[in-house]
Order: sequence, then C-alpha cells, then structure tokens
Amino acid sequence: MSLINPDFIDEIKPFGEDIASVCFNCGTCAAICPLINDHFPRKVIRYIQIGAKERILEQAQELWKCLHCGLCTQTCPRGANPGEIILNLKRYVVANWRSC
Amino acid sequence: MKDKKEDQKHKENQEYREDKKVGVYICYCGGNISDHVDVERVREYVENLPEVAVARTNMFMCSDPGQQLIMDDLKNGTVERVVVASCAPSLHETTFRSAISRAGINPYIYEHANIREQVSWVHHGDQATEKAIKLISMASAKAEQLSPLEPIRVNAKKHATVIGGGVAGLRAAKDMADCGIEVALIEKSQFLGGNLAPLDKIAPTGESAKELLSTLALQVLCHPSITIYAGSVVDSFEGYVGNFTLGVKQVEPLPSKAADSDITAEADISDIQKTNETDKYKKGDYIPFSGVFAVDDADFSNRSDSQNLSVSSNWKSHVIETGVIVIATGFKSYTPNIGEYGYKKIKEVITLPELIKSMADSLNSGRLSSQDSFTMQKGSACSGKVRGLEKFLEIDGRKIRSMAMIHCVGSRQTPGIHQENDSGQLNEYCSRTCCTATLNAANIIRERYPSTRIYDFFRDIRTYGRGQEEIYEKASHNQVIFFRFEADEPPEIIESRESQSGKNFESNSQLNNFPICVKAKDVLTFGEEIEAPVDLVVLATGIEPNDVSDLVQKMKLPVGADRFLLEVHPKLRPVELPVSGIFLAGTCQAPMDIGESCNAAGAAAVKAAAMLAKGYVELDPFVAQINLELCNGCGACVESCLSDGALRIVDIKADGELIKRAEVTPPLCLGCGACVGVCSENAIDIAGWTLRQYEAMVDRIVAENILAVIN
Repeated sequence: MSLINPDFIDEIKPFGEDIASVCFNCGTCAAICPLINDHFPRKVIRYIQIGAKERILEQAQELWKCLHCGLCTQTCPRGANPGEIILNLKRYVVANWRSC
Repeated sequence: MKDKKEDQKHKENQEYREDKKVGVYICYCGGNISDHVDVERVREYVENLPEVAVARTNMFMCSDPGQQLIMDDLKNGTVERVVVASCAPSLHETTFRSAISRAGINPYIYEHANIREQVSWVHHGDQATEKAIKLISMASAKAEQLSPLEPIRVNAKKHATVIGGGVAGLRAAKDMADCGIEVALIEKSQFLGGNLAPLDKIAPTGESAKELLSTLALQVLCHPSITIYAGSVVDSFEGYVGNFTLGVKQVEPLPSKAADSDITAEADISDIQKTNETDKYKKGDYIPFSGVFAVDDADFSNRSDSQNLSVSSNWKSHVIETGVIVIATGFKSYTPNIGEYGYKKIKEVITLPELIKSMADSLNSGRLSSQDSFTMQKGSACSGKVRGLEKFLEIDGRKIRSMAMIHCVGSRQTPGIHQENDSGQLNEYCSRTCCTATLNAANIIRERYPSTRIYDFFRDIRTYGRGQEEIYEKASHNQVIFFRFEADEPPEIIESRESQSGKNFESNSQLNNFPICVKAKDVLTFGEEIEAPVDLVVLATGIEPNDVSDLVQKMKLPVGADRFLLEVHPKLRPVELPVSGIFLAGTCQAPMDIGESCNAAGAAAVKAAAMLAKGYVELDPFVAQINLELCNGCGACVESCLSDGALRIVDIKADGELIKRAEVTPPLCLGCGACVGVCSENAIDIAGWTLRQYEAMVDRIVAENILAVIN
C-alpha cells in the first residue's frame, strides 16, 4: 500500500530537471535495458511519479547497476530521458541515504 | 385433358425455339467460381435451354470487356433479356443493370444468379456444377418472363425538416438552407445549442463554446429560409420520401407565460436560468449553459406562414409538409447510478459536466461578485484563491488541494461487472470524447490553479484526432499523475469520516485532513494498491443517446444494440437510414465530438439536397400491382399489408356503377408480397417478381433433365 505523495516531485527538483512526469509508462525503456532486471528503469521512474520515496531508498542499490548505455534515452517515445532520471536519483539517494 | 396440356406445353416449347431471347453470361471470377464449378459444362447445358439465345463465359464478367459482351449482344439484337451468373447480387447487380442502361435498354430485363457465395464457396465437384446449372436455369426461366419496368417517380417537395437544434441540427439546417432549400428546425427546448451549450473551452483548440455556438446559431436564426419551431416536438408522422407530413406540437409554454416548468433532458445541468426567467430573454440572446434563445413573441402568437394552426390556450401545433427529414436528436450525458463511485451519496463526487459548469460559474462570479447582486444557486459557487504563491481551485467555497478524475464512467461497461440500467442495458461502447474532455479540464485546472493536484484514474486513454494526443502529453507536462485500473477492479471512493473510526487508514495526519481517499490497484505500479487523498472526485461520464423511442416508433427507424440509431451501412452509407428520405446527423448515431457531428451533419445535408435537387425521387419499381379485372374488392390485401397506407380499398366507376377495388400507393409499398399471398383471385403481383415468374423458376427446380445432363 502506497500513499501518493505529489510533493516528492518538488523534493527531487534540486537534483535535476523534472522529466519523470512526462513518462507515460509504456515500458519501452525496461524492454530495451540490457540489465533485463525487474522493470528497471521504469519502476523507479514510476516511484518518482507517485512519490514512493521509501521504495526508492529501499531499492537504491538498483540504480548503481545502470550501465548508462543510453538505449532507454534513445528509445523513449515521450523524451523522458530515463538515463538522466537515473543520474538525478543517484544524486538524490546520495544526499538522503543516511536519513532512512 | 392431359393431352391438351401436353399439347400446349409442346406448343410453348416450339415458340421458345423460334423466339430465343435470353443471354446468359457466366463468370469464372478468376478461379473463385471456376475452381469448383465446371463453367464450360454449365455453359454447354445452358446454351441448350429453349429460351436461351446465347451463353457466354468470361474470366471476370464485371470487367469492362465482360460488360462489353453484354452490351454488344443487346445492341445488335442478339438478346433481349440478360442473366449474369457470378457473385452475390449485392456486389454487382447494379453494375450489370447500369451496363444494360448504357446499351440503351431498360435495366429491369435483368436477372442475377449467385454461383459464387451460394455455390463455389460452399460446394465442390459435380454437386457445385449441378447447383450452378439449376440456379442459372431458374434465373433464365424467370428472365424470359421479365418485362421492362419504369422506376416510380415521386415529386419531392423542396423542403427539409431538421429534428434537433444542437450543433449537428444547426449545421445541417444552415447547409441545406444555403442550397436553396426551405428548412424547418424543430427543437424541444427553447434554446439552440444542445450539448454544446453546457461546455466551456473546447478541446483541442481552446475556443469557447459560446463563440462557436453564437456564430452558428445566429446564422441559422437570421437565415430567411429557416423556420425554427422551438419548444416543440414531432407529434405525428406520415408520408414517404419527398412528401412527408409532420405534426409539430409545442411542449413548453410560451415565454410570456413561462412557469417553472420541468426542464427537458437536454439541458438538465443548466436549470438555473431556465426557471421563471425565460420571459426576460430576447430571441438570439446567448444564455450561458442553456444556449441561444430561439423563441420570440411573434414566433407563436402570429406565425403567418403556417396554414394549419390550431390554438389551444398557449399550446400550439403546426403541420409541416416536407421532402426530407434529418434526425439530429443528439445525446445526454450519462448519469451515474446513486452510489456509483459514491455519486449522490458523497457530496464531493461530481460529474465532469458539473465540474465544467462550476468552473465557468466561478470565473463569472469572480467578475461580477464585487458589486453585482448576481446570486448563484447553492452548489455552484467556486473560485480560485491566491494565498501567497498558492493558487487553488475552489468549489462550494472549499479549497481543492487535490482531486481525482475517473475515466470510463458509464462507458465500456462490461457484463458481469457493471450494473445494468433500469431497462437492463449496459453501455458497452466507448464514448470517445470523454478522455480528451477530461484531460482538457485537467490542463485548464493545472494551468489556472497550479496548487491543485490532479490524479487521473483511467482504464485506457484514447485522445484520438488531430491535436488531441498533445493534450495527453500536455497533461503529463502539467504533472497530472496517472493511474491505470482494470474494469473489474475500479477505484474505491472512501470517505475518511467513516474510515477514521473503521481503521481503514493508517493513522496518517496527512490523510485525515482530506474528506476522501481514492484507493486503487494500480496497473502502472505493478499492481500495487495506492491511496490518493483528495478533496474532490470528478467522474468522466460518457455519452448516451437521447430517448427517441417515440420517433423510432412513428418513423420505423432502426436502432442498434447500443440504442443509437442505425445507419444503412457503416462505411458506404453512413448518414442514411433504410427509410428513404430520412438522414442521420450527429450523436443520435454514435458518440462524436463537435467536428465529427458537423461532418455528419454536412454529409446528411448534402445527401438531402441531392435528393431534392431534381425535384423528384426515383424508386425501385418492385411494388404491388392490382389487376382490376380480377380484383373483387374484398380487402384481404389491405389487412395483410405491413406498410400503413400502401394499400387501400377505393370506389371506382365501371360501366356507370361504383365498385370497390384495391389501390396501391407505390412509394409506400415495400414489395414484400404479403398481399399476393392472401389474394384469393390472384389479382396482385409484385412487379419484377410475378407469380408467373416464380412458377417458371419452380418448374426448372423440379425439371428432371438437369440431372440427366450431369450424369
């Protein structure tokens, strides 16, 4: 059970531009990702949209598996730039990990 | 006795041989037929039939060279009757009839044998060949008996009637009037505009409904060829294409006597202005959320052009003689069941039309409230409040910090999941317009009141059409958060007031401030349950056809399983009804947006204008014919007739005496043959399908020599 936190999008703004909002959850990024790992990276992008902060911090280590190959960014139909979102999240997690 | 019969038969056969006149043209259909039917064997057999002058084959009879074969034989007198054996007549009967016409011959000397759908696609081998021979022999026997017919020509009154004064009705009325046709526009309410009137900013362009409607309605109101019957409905209907007679009855009282009458279904959202206030309006006034006022004092008290005016107190009726009818009776927005997503049980749950009205009212009241004594009805006040940098939507004086919008309410209902309406029906169709309308409203709110958060719960999103996908994308940019649910697991609307005690929520202070929590199993978050605390829930209600059962019954209109009116053919004849001279425009046919409604209306107007342009209409001549010498005036045919008014008994003078005889009104006759079956004197025949022709066909069915040929 997740409670929606619409303010989270503002909370991560200092770590990079808000591009997660434009994702429409088509899953192209997860399909093209060479990691083939549990809906990565769509899952963390979805967590940003609904403000599931705890989930992001719980699963933070996933972010460091990313190879930054850029395939997701190339194929994203909405221009959400998943690669950039992962970088933003890494910065956010580094700044917040002690607090959880 | 027997000898005499034999003799006559022999004589007939002799005559046939001297007077061969039927040409039979058999198609290979590029193998479709010839793979299973031995076409050349069929031709050999058919060639020897007594009445057949020539039998030919072709790879594709419908091709130009194929048609030319037929035309050449007709022109040089080789044949006088034509049989084509090919595909279903629905496909190419008209093709071959028109080829005959082009050869300068009457097109009704034609008979069709279907040896593809009824033979080669369903039978194989000798059986197929045998059946093809039988069907063609029958057609040939019938063809010999055919006589040239003339289409029924009916004078058409250059006058059109439009039923419904919404955007489709207005568009159709204007377009037909511009073609030089006199138009009567019948509208049940006193306002023009229908469902366009209660809208505000129209997606995707953002134009105001007021501008769109005022422009079109004023063109209609000012048009010298358009007469508007506002506050009126069709009371009676009779006649046929080109010559319909409509009785029109007023259903709303005159403006001068306007009482607090019940509001018609078309504009039930906008009841504020309608009660007790209609007498203040002038014709042409734009009344927000109701439409353009279409009644003026002179309208009903002394209309000069109506011949048949009956007055009973203030309720008046008219008779309209008209050539064609365009039905534009429109839709009504779905009203959720009580308790559906909490509707009418939880005050924070409203429909999208209610939201649109509240938002527009708030802008108006914002402008007026300072000095004007403009009083809003309870439940409609809303405005945006600026506090520091925060700007929230307000409804009922309540600040809306976040709101949920739920798609597909009253649309795409699924048996076993959704609740049927009182008549046991479900709206299984997509209403098509609500996705765009919902996201358009979401964008307006996010841009006007950026502090109000929006959660959008959808099953699927279809913002189809030019400039509309962009609205979906814009909603994402505006940080509308989307959630997807399955039909069998819709979002739950939970009142926090009750759930606080019921322990449904975790003790979260953030939640407790919100009156409602929307709980959903979110497909986008991998099936996790999510909770969204909100101040308002908006239901994106779908489109339902207006109840026109009265017209359906009077005019015998076909209705689809979805309760919308049903066109002749969805692709090829999309605005025509099977009743000749009656056309469809707009959302009485299917959910459409404004542009699509105007498209349909324009198409209907052109079809109607084309029909009236010649001044007459030609109908197929396959109608009942009375042999007055055999008819004894018993009236059995009239009783059996399925089409009111097609048959009647009249007095005619014969040898100075009045006698009773049956009479046909050809345009009303369906050619069904019910009267032929009951006539004891064999005095009725359907032209082109006479009893003699049937007998000739039956003789061929039972003829034994066909089998002999095959074996």
